[in-house]
Amino acid sequence: MGKLKKKGQAGQAKNYMTRTQAVKKLQLSLPDFRKLCIWKGIYPREPRNRKKVSKSSTASTTFYYTKDIQYLLHEPLLQKFREQKTLEKKISRALGRGDVGDAARLERNAARPDQTGKPRYTLNHVVRERYPTFIDAVRDLDDCLSMLFLFANLPSTSAVPAKMIARCERLCLEFQHYLIKSHSLRKSFLSIKGIYYQANIQGEDVLWLVPYKFNQRVVGDIDFRIMGTFIEFYMTLLSFVNYRLYTSIGLKYPPKFDQTMDDQAAELAAISLEGANLATAGETKAITNGEEQKIDPKVQAQVNKLVKQLRNEANGEKPDEQMGEDGEDDEEKATDALDKFEPVAPGGDVLLQPSYSGNDPSQLFSKFTFFLSRETPRQSLEFILRAFGCKRIGWDPILGEGSFTTDESDPSITHQIVDRPVVQAAMDEEEGDGEDNQTSRKLGPNQRYPGRIYVQPQWVWDSVNDEELKSPELYAPGAALPPHLSPFVKPTQGQYDPTIPLEEQQTEGEALDAEIEEAMEDGDEEAGEESEVENDMDVASDNDDEDEEEGSDGAEDEEEEEEDEDEDEALERQRELEAEISGKAVKSKQLDAKTKANLDKKKALEKKKKEEAEDLERAKGMLSKKKRKLFEQMQYTNNKKSAEDVKLRSKRRKLDKEKAAKKA
Amino acid sequence: MKAKTVEKKRKARDDSSDSESDDELGNGLFDGVLDASEDEGDYIPSDEIEEDESGSENDGSDGSDEEDDDALLSDDIPSDNEDLSKMEDLEIAEPGVDPKRTEADDEGRNYRIEKDANGGERYVYDEIDPVYDSDDSDAQGPVNTIGNIPMSFYDSYPHIGYDINGKKIMRPASGDALQSLLDTIEIPKGWTGLTDVNTGNPLNLTDEELELVRRVQMGLAPDDLVDPYPDTVEWFTSKEEKMPLSAAPEPKRRFLPSKNEAKMVMKLVRAIREGRILPYKPPEEREREAEEQEEVHFDLWQDEEPQAPNPMHIPAPKLPPPGYEMSYNPPEEYLPSKEEREEWEKTDPEEREKEYLPTKYNSLRKVPAWGELVKERFERCMDLYLAPRVRKNRLNIDPNSLLPKLPSPSELKPFPTVAQTIFRGHEGTVRSVSIDPTGVALATGGSDGTVRVWELLTGRQVWSVKLSSDEPVHIVRWRPTKDAFILSAAAGEDIYLMVPTHSSVTPGLDQTSRDILAAGFGYAANGQQAAITAGKEPAGKWARPGTKLEDEGVLVKITVRSTVKVINWHRRGDHFATVSPEGQRSSVAIHTLSKHLTQIPFRKLHGIAQTAAFHPSKPIFFVATMRTVRCYDLQKLELIKIVQPGAKWISSIDIHPGGDNLIVGSYDRRLLWHDLDLSNRPYKTMRFHPKAIRAVRYHKGGLPLFADASDDGTLQIFHGKVPNDQLENPTIVPVKQLKGHKVVNQVGVVDIDWHPREPWCVSAGADGTARLWM
Repeated sequence: MGKLKKKGQAGQAKNYMTRTQAVKKLQLSLPDFRKLCIWKGIYPREPRNRKKVSKSSTASTTFYYTKDIQYLLHEPLLQKFREQKTLEKKISRALGRGDVGDAARLERNAARPDQTGKPRYTLNHVVRERYPTFIDAVRDLDDCLSMLFLFANLPSTSAVPAKMIARCERLCLEFQHYLIKSHSLRKSFLSIKGIYYQANIQGEDVLWLVPYKFNQRVVGDIDFRIMGTFIEFYMTLLSFVNYRLYTSIGLKYPPKFDQTMDDQAAELAAISLEGANLATAGETKAITNGEEQKIDPKVQAQVNKLVKQLRNEANGEKPDEQMGEDGEDDEEKATDALDKFEPVAPGGDVLLQPSYSGNDPSQLFSKFTFFLSRETPRQSLEFILRAFGCKRIGWDPILGEGSFTTDESDPSITHQIVDRPVVQAAMDEEEGDGEDNQTSRKLGPNQRYPGRIYVQPQWVWDSVNDEELKSPELYAPGAALPPHLSPFVKPTQGQYDPTIPLEEQQTEGEALDAEIEEAMEDGDEEAGEESEVENDMDVASDNDDEDEEEGSDGAEDEEEEEEDEDEDEALERQRELEAEISGKAVKSKQLDAKTKANLDKKKALEKKKKEEAEDLERAKGMLSKKKRKLFEQMQYTNNKKSAEDVKLRSKRRKLDKEKAAKKA
Repeated sequence: MKAKTVEKKRKARDDSSDSESDDELGNGLFDGVLDASEDEGDYIPSDEIEEDESGSENDGSDGSDEEDDDALLSDDIPSDNEDLSKMEDLEIAEPGVDPKRTEADDEGRNYRIEKDANGGERYVYDEIDPVYDSDDSDAQGPVNTIGNIPMSFYDSYPHIGYDINGKKIMRPASGDALQSLLDTIEIPKGWTGLTDVNTGNPLNLTDEELELVRRVQMGLAPDDLVDPYPDTVEWFTSKEEKMPLSAAPEPKRRFLPSKNEAKMVMKLVRAIREGRILPYKPPEEREREAEEQEEVHFDLWQDEEPQAPNPMHIPAPKLPPPGYEMSYNPPEEYLPSKEEREEWEKTDPEEREKEYLPTKYNSLRKVPAWGELVKERFERCMDLYLAPRVRKNRLNIDPNSLLPKLPSPSELKPFPTVAQTIFRGHEGTVRSVSIDPTGVALATGGSDGTVRVWELLTGRQVWSVKLSSDEPVHIVRWRPTKDAFILSAAAGEDIYLMVPTHSSVTPGLDQTSRDILAAGFGYAANGQQAAITAGKEPAGKWARPGTKLEDEGVLVKITVRSTVKVINWHRRGDHFATVSPEGQRSSVAIHTLSKHLTQIPFRKLHGIAQTAAFHPSKPIFFVATMRTVRCYDLQKLELIKIVQPGAKWISSIDIHPGGDNLIVGSYDRRLLWHDLDLSNRPYKTMRFHPKAIRAVRYHKGGLPLFADASDDGTLQIFHGKVPNDQLENPTIVPVKQLKGHKVVNQVGVVDIDWHPREPWCVSAGADGTARLWM
């Protein structure tokens, strides 16, 4: 017989230790331990069996892996913590003695990262240890970026020193510059929490959240010391990542930072990139606006022409666009199109088509000049437009320094992004003056510069996410915007997808239910409004006309469906007419016949469902306890999800019906 | 007016008369002197004398008296009042001139001429102030030279001693009334009231002396010039000595450079070279420099080597990407309805499934800041460093793949599916059902104490007997052979054997049955005798139940010690076992019909016996206690096996007709299939009921069916095929759940029995019915 094993000497009991034990072993205070854990990425673990791990009767909350703690024992930062501790002790002792001068001297020597933002230690080695390769670091950049962008937008307080905020802001700007330069921004999403961005850096997807540019409300009990500890690490990490990213595309790091520009809220323009060597220096300048302004007027004219043509082409596809809003403008465009299409058509098409169809999504906006009205979020728009190839962005001088132009009447502007409501009353008059207003004098409300596309900001985001320019009339100022959909949702089987028509995704049972319900409602209505049948008919015919009109626009499938429906409707109308002649009873009977079939179908479906449930029950009884639990759990989550989907579908159905009713 | 002037006149006269009287005194004395004083310039000594006179008489007296005198004297006869007043005016003018003159005279010489005691002239010099540098070393030498002798020696003499020149020092005039009067009137400055012992003059003190006295009284140094805190004079420290104090030669070390100092200097030099010591800079400059050089940029991953990930490392899960509902302008169907919104608002923020409500803003400029963002980030931070991480393998599989593939029930037909007949008649629970071996009649026993026999297919009651008025009939069982038609039933502690009348029972069959029951009565006497001789209470008393019951067809009554709950017959029909769970040692009894003998096989039982059964082909006896099923060999009389189903409380067992398999139903809702050859543990555990299982039963007629009856009012029919090949496992498929019985007082279906040949079964329910399922 082997040696008897004692309890708590090996295995899980030795593999884990409680936090108190860890702190004791490291001889640290709890805040220092917390700091160390945050920087070194040490986290508590859930042991497989809590009882085997803890010797105490009380349930300990946190367990750390013993080897993690052992690893911390060799951390050079520990020495720094201890030095700091002794220094604090000396200071307090000096103060106790009443020796203020000595205390002040010691205090001066002490590094106070919470005040100056500069500690005596560096976290370089920690970054390297946590992320042995660069890709590892990129993979873990999500939280880092979200935190830094948040802190860049925080107000400075005693807990969050201004220097820290400035540094965060600068790092973020540098990172954005890299994204712009390398065109690695992929997607962006306007959520209620802020703006999500997704970039692809060396094959890794990085997703982060940037708050809207408002003063952040600090609610609840938030310990900024903890956040500050994280930020300290994240700042170090991002500065190294930035260095690597910049050097990877041949740029010098750190880039030149213009303090005066930054003070004037130039944001991105405050940083100017430089090439790592002289050869690339000139080329890299292209990011800023300065170079663009020196552009040869001829080339500019050419570009403008092309852009105009391009836009006209876009307009050509949808001839009826903007008819309601500014017809005059359209007329001008139409004539332009006529003039220009004939000579340039073959060559121009070949040249323009690929960029337009989105061969290279990173150059989506490269041909346009944007102007941002003062009510638009400039920072995010500037970033996203630049990241997708736009070179010339002007904005209202209120929005800060660094714009391509602050003159709204600049003729090179092709797109203007506005986010203000349309004033209805002034419309008609202003349109008449449209042509006179081509000069640079200020336009009144609602007036438009001709030859320019006015869109709401969402147009930019939707275009970026779909990697194609969306048709601007959907996003015209004052128009009801189409829903803004998250580009991060991956469609899965059975899940509700708002982009697909309801008919394609609803289950059989739901469809039947809906039909029956509809039939019942119709029946009720018709029973109630016997006399209005004729009116109803008129309405119906109107409906048909409209449908036909729409049909020319829409896909052929829809048309077919509608035709089918039309036929059905025609048949029904026939029946109704007959019913009118013969009397009530017949009609109700006929109505019943249709619903009856549906009801039968439903009954069959229910029966089938019941059988299936029985089968399931039988099979479930044969499972072992463990498997049954697992199965039930899976079933529970699945049911929950599908219930949500069903709810969404029913809501959609209701909305569709309401919409149809409104149309009718 | 006149009166006034008169008064004035009189006054003036008075004044003049006073002054005259004074003057008379004076005149009387100093007549000649006054004459002499007429020409001041010529007779200076006389003037001096006059002055001396006045001075000696009243030393400090003011000069006004003298001047009065002078004025009066200068005008010999003050004839008129007006003249007098004139004179007074003159008087007033004069004093300004006269003292000046005398002072000027005094300054010229440092002595005075006085009259000595003998009346001779005497030069008295001014007192010399004995300052430090005066060369008069014995200024205040004693004037009287008599030495230290008592002054009383001179009392009888006019002098009091001799001066340095040998002249007598005259005793000063004393007791002069006028002088003493004057002395009392005014005390001159420096007056002490004492007499100088040496001179005999009144001892007056000068200002200096008074000051000195004051200082002594105050405890200060007597001399004003003494500085109590003089500056120290450093004689030896700051003054360079011209001469050495020690004559020792200079040591060598004074001339050699110090090694220790060199060491210290080198240390500093090294520190400076290494940059540990920096030249002083003002703190602002230092700070600025630190700021400038703080950021060090280099490629941290210059020599990166991909490392295999630590298997124990659990990376933090990323936050899920935002969905459609988080959009600032989501599709309408994602917006919450009014109820949903209310519910969301009502729930505690901690318990909300989503921390936000989908909201639609029809324009980007209307989107406000998200108030919870900082908190959310903070919580994420807390999660990153504080949340215990555990690796969970998410099963990304279709849950249906977990389910076993069961053959469709339609392939496994026949099995009972619907209730064909319902047997109503019992009041209260039907406790037990049994179908006779021919499959024609059904016997039921109920809580009302009756045993009823029904025609199985029609559901018609053909026979009934009330065995007990107060005890329920717990069990009814047919004798399992077709040669006789014998029914056994138990009510309370009594077991009854009866031959019911039935249409299918021919008189011959009836007779055989009666014979079989009656055959044992001869043995019974023997048995009883034996029991009596042993002096023990018999295990069972076999007797006739009485004429009334005998007329009904109940022929034998066996009384045992406690309530019988279970009866199980041996396949040959000669033995049957009864179980009475409360009976303790005698709870299991085996009765022999042919001998009317009751035996108790166990002296001791492990646990409370629940049920017992005979093996269908071998001489093996199964006894189920609450937890285990024990198998005994009846021939060798030994324990073969203990089957452990793992159930907490076994309710019933049944043995497969093949004899190798056993099903166990338990009150803890499980149905367990045991393969007796395989293991003591269950081969399969099935859980189909949410309530206890009361009865389990195999089909005994060759069909692969078994069923259980549960308190939830349902029966579960299984297809259970035992293959002939020993190596194959039995296949168990649930085929049908039969619902129909109502649950009364949480009791559903109590008993179940299969038809001997057909795939039919009968169940007994707590709702007072029995049902035939086919």
